[in-house]
Amino acid sequence: MKSNPIPNRRTFLQSSSALIALPFLESFGFRCFASAATPVAPPKRLVFLGMGFGVTRDSWFPDLKTTGADYELTPGLSPLARHKDDITVIQNLANQFNNEAHWGSTFWLTGANRYAEPGQSFRNSISVDQVAAETLGKETRFSSIQLGYRGGDNSGHGPGLSLSWNRQGKPVAALNTPVTAFHRLFSDDSTPLGERQAALLQRRSVLDTVLEDAKSTRKGLSKADTDKLDEYFQSIREIETRLSKEEEWLDVPKRKPSQPLKEPGEGLEGVEEMKVMYDLILAAMEVDASRVFSYRQPLDTMIRSMGSTITAHNMSHYSDGPRKDVSEQRDAKQSELFAHFIDGMKSIQEADGTSLFDNTTLTLGTNINSIHYLNNCPTLVTGGGSGIKHGRHLVMKDPKTPLCNLWLSLLNGSGIETESHGDSTGIIDELFA
Amino acid sequence: MKSALTPAFLLSLLTLSAYAAEKPGAAMPEAHFAVFEKYCLECHDSLTEEGGVNLDDLSFKIDSVASAELWQKVLNSLNSGDMPPEDEPQLSDEEKTVFLDDLSHELVEAREILSDSGGMITMRRLNRREYENTIHDLLGVEIDAEDLPADTNSDGFDTTGASLFFSSDQFEQYLKLAHSALDKTLLLSKEPPRVMRFERESEPSVNQFFEKQAAKLKRNFDQAQEWRAAAQEKTPKDFGFIDENDVAFHERLYNQQYPTYRQYLDRPESKTGILLYRLFNGAVLDTVNISPKWPAGEYTLKVRVAALKGAPSHERFLEYGVKTANGRAGELDLRGCVEVTGTMDNPQTLEIPVTVEQSGSRSFGLRQRQHNNRDAARAYFLRSQVQNKVGPPPALWIDRIEISGPHFETWPPRGVADLFFKGREWWKQPDEDAYAREIIERFATRAFRIKEPSPAYLEKLYELYSKEKSGGKKLHEAIREPLATILASPGFLYLIEPVPGQSKRELTDLELAVRLSYFLWSAPPDKTLYEVARAGELNHPAKLAEQTNRMLRDPRSDAFISSFAHQWLHMERLDFFQFDFRQFPEFDDSVKAAARREVYETIRSVINEQRPLGDLLKADHVVVNNLLANYYGLEGVEGDAFQKVSLPADSPRGGLLGMAATMAMGSDGNRSSPVERGAWVMRKLLDDPPPPAPANVPQLSRLEGQLLSPRELQNAHMEEAQCAQCHRKIDPIGYGLENFDAAGKWRETMILTQAGRKKKNAKRKMVIDIDAHGQLPGGATFEDFAGLRDSIANQRSAFERGFTEALIEYALGRPYGFSDESLREKLLKRARAKDGEMREFILALVQSKPFRTKK
Repeated sequence: MKSNPIPNRRTFLQSSSALIALPFLESFGFRCFASAATPVAPPKRLVFLGMGFGVTRDSWFPDLKTTGADYELTPGLSPLARHKDDITVIQNLANQFNNEAHWGSTFWLTGANRYAEPGQSFRNSISVDQVAAETLGKETRFSSIQLGYRGGDNSGHGPGLSLSWNRQGKPVAALNTPVTAFHRLFSDDSTPLGERQAALLQRRSVLDTVLEDAKSTRKGLSKADTDKLDEYFQSIREIETRLSKEEEWLDVPKRKPSQPLKEPGEGLEGVEEMKVMYDLILAAMEVDASRVFSYRQPLDTMIRSMGSTITAHNMSHYSDGPRKDVSEQRDAKQSELFAHFIDGMKSIQEADGTSLFDNTTLTLGTNINSIHYLNNCPTLVTGGGSGIKHGRHLVMKDPKTPLCNLWLSLLNGSGIETESHGDSTGIIDELFA
Repeated sequence: MKSALTPAFLLSLLTLSAYAAEKPGAAMPEAHFAVFEKYCLECHDSLTEEGGVNLDDLSFKIDSVASAELWQKVLNSLNSGDMPPEDEPQLSDEEKTVFLDDLSHELVEAREILSDSGGMITMRRLNRREYENTIHDLLGVEIDAEDLPADTNSDGFDTTGASLFFSSDQFEQYLKLAHSALDKTLLLSKEPPRVMRFERESEPSVNQFFEKQAAKLKRNFDQAQEWRAAAQEKTPKDFGFIDENDVAFHERLYNQQYPTYRQYLDRPESKTGILLYRLFNGAVLDTVNISPKWPAGEYTLKVRVAALKGAPSHERFLEYGVKTANGRAGELDLRGCVEVTGTMDNPQTLEIPVTVEQSGSRSFGLRQRQHNNRDAARAYFLRSQVQNKVGPPPALWIDRIEISGPHFETWPPRGVADLFFKGREWWKQPDEDAYAREIIERFATRAFRIKEPSPAYLEKLYELYSKEKSGGKKLHEAIREPLATILASPGFLYLIEPVPGQSKRELTDLELAVRLSYFLWSAPPDKTLYEVARAGELNHPAKLAEQTNRMLRDPRSDAFISSFAHQWLHMERLDFFQFDFRQFPEFDDSVKAAARREVYETIRSVINEQRPLGDLLKADHVVVNNLLANYYGLEGVEGDAFQKVSLPADSPRGGLLGMAATMAMGSDGNRSSPVERGAWVMRKLLDDPPPPAPANVPQLSRLEGQLLSPRELQNAHMEEAQCAQCHRKIDPIGYGLENFDAAGKWRETMILTQAGRKKKNAKRKMVIDIDAHGQLPGGATFEDFAGLRDSIANQRSAFERGFTEALIEYALGRPYGFSDESLREKLLKRARAKDGEMREFILALVQSKPFRTKK
């Protein structure tokens, strides 16, 4: 152990008392207490950030001719310069079934075909983050965290409550303000343990009661109605799982991150809101509250908070002039916020001396390329969690390479064995080569 | 490929013609085969199959998900310009335009047919609006369902059962909301809370504050002058300033602000009351803060107020609302806007009802009508100050404010009386627990819309109560958990219509009552409707019509009118933008709200007065209140209530096209958007919706950076076939509406501006006369807006058709499908026999078989 007169966080981390002094990796502290002596590999994590409407076509995408490590960052990506060796820009990925020019998120992580089921005008399938959560979420207090923003869809995301869709292809709700996310992740219930146990028992009796009604309701329902009611049953099952988890975690106080977090203000909007959400994700990862995050980002309020008076949809139809200016400023701001987020990820150390960044995979993108283009979805991957060889600009040979091939690659890279996702046709080998 | 028609294709043509005779289906017109053969099959026939695409076997009848997918690919690659490849022969513009037009429309139709559920109605969960209303009906309290996850829908209405999902978060929110509703309901004291009263006159504190500010400015300024006089010998520090800049700063501040304060204080009106003003940093409010100790409930705000002499008519409106934590100076969460008719000689007293919540802001503010935006108030102040040094003259004066409450209509409140049906004094009952059991059972049955809950469920509810009770709680506390649980149970949350062992059946009278009341009220049936249903009379057509008419006249039908109209006409666009306060100073939140209301109130008047639906296309009157009349420049309209007002013969108002809301929806808050407006007219008025915006169409870039008139832009849209296929129809309509600016006011000229990307070609401006002539897709030509409106009004049958489809969709809670065509035709026929009366469509629909059948 080093002797340093002024202990900083780093020395604390290296000290033998780290596990007690530092609130990181909650689940390890909890689960592996008996075997604390054996070092454990840090867990894998995944983060998906959905931007909504697409980017400025001619100033975001790197030149198609310069692939590999030898490429230049475009103005839209230049704020990421300090991380250039750690990011990968991929071109020519697309969801073949999406024909909705204003839906940047609905099928982004699912690759589903809206019309695949005759007799229905909409269907979706599970999103990649929820697939990951089924495995990575077992060990943490929250199997996954979905973040969003308040207000309607004027940011180009399309139908849905977050980026995430469950196994049944139904929308998963999001925490829509920093303050609700903050309380969900970090606020402790101050009531005594005994009372909380009693409250949990009570909640189980409530579930038991509504299930009784659900069972009698089900009798005589048509096929479609039975399917509909299954959503209800499914929700109750999810809550039961959540309650079991809460029981497990009941006597473990929620950990506080090393950088104290203040309760965010109620009215945060746009850029400030996004900064706080990024901080919350970071803090949640540090305390290992969850390992899977999706964030459907506000775009309309984002550009408004940057002083724009036009709407996000108008921006997405830029022609030269103010619209394009706003679009370019937005791209740069996105990259700047993301770069800052990466800084944070790199600054936080895991038990084995690696950083959060080394064990996480982050994707920033959307299903919309630019304007109404749905080919070549803007895609930026970073982080060491899935073993991608970063620092490169990859252009897929097939201009219609399924975006789901990337999702499949990330799943497998993060140790989640699965054969396919959405319309995937295989792993993208170039990522790892 | 040289051979003419392949066998597979011939076969599909044959089946197509046989099929077409039976029922309508989506199919590409045969005429396009020539295009197909000429440009596609060379590479994409069964022999070559380039890119793995074989179009040989592709049937022109689009009748399966697979063929729709392949046709979608054809459409996409033509739209994106990927096909035909550059070095191959290209379609002529005309060929391409017609081909794309047909294909995109056929594909939309094919998707509709393939998605058609065959008239099946999926069980519906209460949406947010229905949930709020149902809770209000059961417990007599208002709750805010904003915290529930949004009722997502790909497109269509929020009554579509299949699109109303359920999630675990939703369930937890239901429990939470139910608990807070019950907290509000269970007011069990013997007497109502004492009525609190408080009166204030704000001028002493306001005047004192302004005097203090003015004195401070003056003191600093005087000292600055003293230093200037003695500048040779002394430093600014000697006079309390940091440096010379600081001196100059205080001099400037004095010049900017002192005259404004002085002028306010010197006005005689400020001695007796407060002047509502726009100041350097926002609006001057008169604020009342209600003590947190006062009980929640309905209060009355009495305001003695007058408009100053000479104040312009549009400023003689008082806005009131709640000051929220996020609001900046002068901003309010608006609750209403009333006209001020009192004068300084004869002030009036306004009575404003306000709801005080247990938690949340208890600070109520009053201000002169304006944009709800501090920057707007500031900009307005500065602009006026440049002219007169002191800022905008005030328009309203408030003498005093009195607040009193809470007021209760009855005591105990309705919710308590309904729950504690044997009296609220439960402790006087011989058997408390038996009473609790009865309360739970009665409430569950009412919540389930008089469907009997199962005994096992009731028993479990009772157990919830017993557990709480044995934990030491009293009856009125222990009963909350079971009551809240009922409000999160499927029997309450879903409109359930079982079909045991059948594929369809006629609804029972009770089920019909529920369907009817959720259609017309977004709420459960009332006592009268239940009684008719229980008597088994609701299925009699005359009784059904009688109840429908009664319910339409009831104010609760506003839930139907406003939510149907809002969704049918895509009015959410009205909330998408903040209107630029510099360009549209009068189009503030209050006018926007009134403009939105105008749509609903007009529809209500058309229904109630048994007028034809076509009145919405053209009318010789408007339905407006004083505020909107003022905005439209119509004289002599008094009162905040919406009323019918006749129009001069040459007025552009009257009908949806002349409404500020409609035109504002077709803008972005800054500029009018002919494309949005034209597409809206085609979708909503002409029942000829353009296909969805196609993916991957190359953007026009040739004209970037040029200052183009609307007409030139229109011509540019015609250059590319991919654009022309839709824009040749959309744009002429949109340009016909250019006489309305972005906020729906009439104009004869418009200003074009173009901000250059580079400094050297900075902002350019051009004023042009509006040229509104054009042609409708059907061929009718028009010279100006009046002509356009008349041409559209002439196509009333298309409008009726579109409306009928929307109504079917909203009422039945499922997407309109092609299997609904015969229903649509029946409704149209019946309504047209009565001159197309709007009410007749609704009557015909509720009496139709599908409305009375569960399938």
